Formats: sequence, C-alpha cells, structure tokens
Amino acid sequence: MVRDVTFNVARGEVLGLLGVNGAGKSTTLAMIAGVLAPDAGAVKLNGLILHEHLATARTCIGYLPENVPLWPELTVREYLDACGRLHRMDRAARKRAIDRELLRLDLSGMANRLSGQLSLGQKRRLGLAQALLHDPELLVLDEPGNGLDPVQTAQLRELIQGLSDTRATIISTHVLSEVEAMCDRVVILHEGRVRFDAQLAADRGALDRAFLAIARDKTEIAA
Amino acid sequence: MNVLPVARLDLKRLFVRPFAWALGAIALGLLAWLFLLDLNAFLAAQPKLAAAPEANLGYTDLVAAPHLLTFVQLSLLLAPLITMHAIAGERRAHTLPLLFAAGLSPARIVLEKFLASLVFLWLLLILAALIPLSLAHATSPDWGQFCAALLGSALCVAALSAIGIACSAFVSHPALAAMAALLIALVLGILDAGSRMTGAHAGWLDYLALSTHITPFMHGLVRSVDVIYFLLLIVLPLSFAARRLAAEKVRG
Repeated sequence: MVRDVTFNVARGEVLGLLGVNGAGKSTTLAMIAGVLAPDAGAVKLNGLILHEHLATARTCIGYLPENVPLWPELTVREYLDACGRLHRMDRAARKRAIDRELLRLDLSGMANRLSGQLSLGQKRRLGLAQALLHDPELLVLDEPGNGLDPVQTAQLRELIQGLSDTRATIISTHVLSEVEAMCDRVVILHEGRVRFDAQLAADRGALDRAFLAIARDKTEIAA
Repeated sequence: MNVLPVARLDLKRLFVRPFAWALGAIALGLLAWLFLLDLNAFLAAQPKLAAAPEANLGYTDLVAAPHLLTFVQLSLLLAPLITMHAIAGERRAHTLPLLFAAGLSPARIVLEKFLASLVFLWLLLILAALIPLSLAHATSPDWGQFCAALLGSALCVAALSAIGIACSAFVSHPALAAMAALLIALVLGILDAGSRMTGAHAGWLDYLALSTHITPFMHGLVRSVDVIYFLLLIVLPLSFAARRLAAEKVRG
C-alpha cells in the first residue's frame, strides 16, 4: 500500500528510493513504470500524466523489475530483439541499439547464449540492457544490486553513474551503502509514505538518523 | 514492421522449444496411423457400400471428416498443452511487467497470445487435413462437406485455445492451467453423453456440449447456431482472461 507519495526527479539526477522490505518501493516503481495503475494521484513525466499518455510515456521509460524478466528459451540477442519489438523499434534501430547495449554491458561475448543459462550477474546486466535499449529519458531500477557479488556490485555502480548524465534515474534499494555510493538524492519510504527526502550531499547524518529511526521503529513493532 | 509483437514473440518461443515440435510430431504421427486404419476399414467396406448405394456414403463421410474429428478430439489435449504457458508462464518468468511497461493493454496481450496459439494449432490442422487430401486425386471427395468439416474443426480448436488462454490467465502454474483447460474441455465434450446414450434430449445441456455443434459441420452443415456457439466460446474466455489481467495490473 502506498499513500501520499510525492517526489520528483530531474534529468541527470540519480534518486535512491530507500526503505525496509515492504515499505512500498517496488509498488511505487511499478506505478512510475506504468506497470501498475494508481488508485489515486498521478505520475507525471515531462508534464504528461503517465496513465493518460501511456503510448508516449512508454518510449521515455526504461524499467528493470526486481526479478529480472527473461524468456529463458531465447538467446541474449533474440531476447533484446523481442524487447525492441515491444518498444516498436524498427529493425535497423533495434540492431543498432542491441549492438550498443551488448557492448556497453559487456555482453557481446554471450550474444548467442540462451538467456536462461546466464549467471545472476549476467542476467541483471541483460535486464539493464533491455531497460536501456530504447534509450529512455527515465530509468527505473528496482533493487538492481540484489544477489550480486561485491565485484559485480561495484561494476553496476560504475555503470549506473555512467548512465545518469543524460537521463533521470530512480533506484530502489534497502541497502544504505548502495544509496550513498550511487545516488545524488534520497527518498526514504516507510509503510507506504515518504519519511525523508533530501540531497545526499546536504546532510549525510540526517539520512543515517532517519534510516536508523525507521529500522528501530520496525524492530520495536516486531518485538 | 512491428505488428503483433507479443504474438510473434510467443510463436518464436513456441518454435524454439522442442516441446511444441514433439507435440506436433506425435499428434501428426498418431493421426497418420489412425487415417491408415480408417482407410483400411473403408476399403474393406467397399463391397457393403456398393450393395447399399442409397446410403450415399463416400470417402469424405467415412474417412476425411472422421479424420478431422479425430484431430478435434486430440485438440482437447493439444490446446491446453500449447496454451498453458501463455500467461501463467509469463507470470512465472516475471515478464508480465515487461509487457505492461511496453504500454500493451491486457486485452491486446490476451488477443495476441490467442493468435499465436491459433497459428500453431491451425498449422497442425492444415497438416492434418493434408493427410486425407493426399488421396483426393484418387477419390471423389465432397469438397463442400470437407470444407464445412475443416471450418468446424478450426472453430472448435479456436474455442479450445481460448479456454486454454483463460485458464492460463487465472492459474499461477502452467501445469495447473493445462489441467483446468483439459477438464473444462472434457466436461464440454461429455455434457451430452447421457442424452446420446439414452437418445433423450437434455435441453440446454445438449446445447452446451461440443459434440452437438461440431457434428453438423462434419456432415457438411454450416448452421449459424453452431457458428455462434463457437464464437461465444472464443469471446467469453478471452474477455475473462483480459479482465483477469487488467485486475492484475491494478492490484499488482
């Protein structure tokens, strides 16, 4: 359940959506990506209400859900080709975009491997490739670092920082250090509401205190 | 050209899996064997048929139309197996958000998935129909009756496919979806078994039964009541599936 959640993100900014499990991060991101329809309120993209302009908006949003969506019987290239088709990209644009993303995400060597046979880190990178395929203005990544080893996490951080120059990026996570390493701004969600919204550079101590207070709150409820 | 991206994707996924090929090969092999048995029986019955010309039974009545009916009976199993992954499989692979995020409406997703399964099953139907047609040059088939039987088979297979898609939308596991679709198809298939055995009419139960509506097609009769029955059996499950998917989009 998500209530009264309001925040904005600008081009070039990486916004971290932080919260404990069940805080409403994935629901919020799914609504931003147009996967879930909100009961009330609206997601605005470049001033357009998302659910009234889905056809236009879908070209502007790249979405990587928490569980990497894969058709395991397709090869990496076939999978990306299918994703390009879903985004109505023509054949030439698809080919260019697939080559670009395979190179960017270091997947060129496994273009002809079945996507179901990739390691978790490779699957995450493939999921990111499909989100970036149509060069979206807004990148929505739900727990992109889940299940990655430290080296893969470091690579992912570097990659996301490299991607954020030309687009707005929203990342959800429940790991404070991930937010501190990747994000410019943090929104903390708790029980479906925004509890904290500030630039990371402004006051790191405030972020730590807010997150600890929420963690303490949750521990007391559990006790 | 990016028309019907979901249907193309589903067909691609169907054809890269050995399952669909194996299923098609087994079905066609079985049909070919049954065709030979029917043909053998037809040839053995030639003296009796010659002695009773008033019965007016020929190759189409005794071999070609029953062959298509056998395909329909096989489709009671084929359609659930082909459609079970349609939506339940997407749900398990977490790929539904990808389709929703691409701006595709639930109705369109359902419709394209139905089309994909239909292409596969109708392709099998055409291949199955080619078996009796291979002897067309040596016999004198009743083309009208054969086309009616083909139309009836196509409609019935489409209805079974729509039921399979609906079950796949409502059930979380593909195997459960296949079982549910098979169960519904079997119930529709045997609804009028009692009245057939006793010879009494069972009213609406007879109307709901598949055999009530497929049999006239096999005899060369294309009745609007039968066409409407099959169209309803296609539209209703598909609309239920679309509603289920739309609810999933709202509820998450």
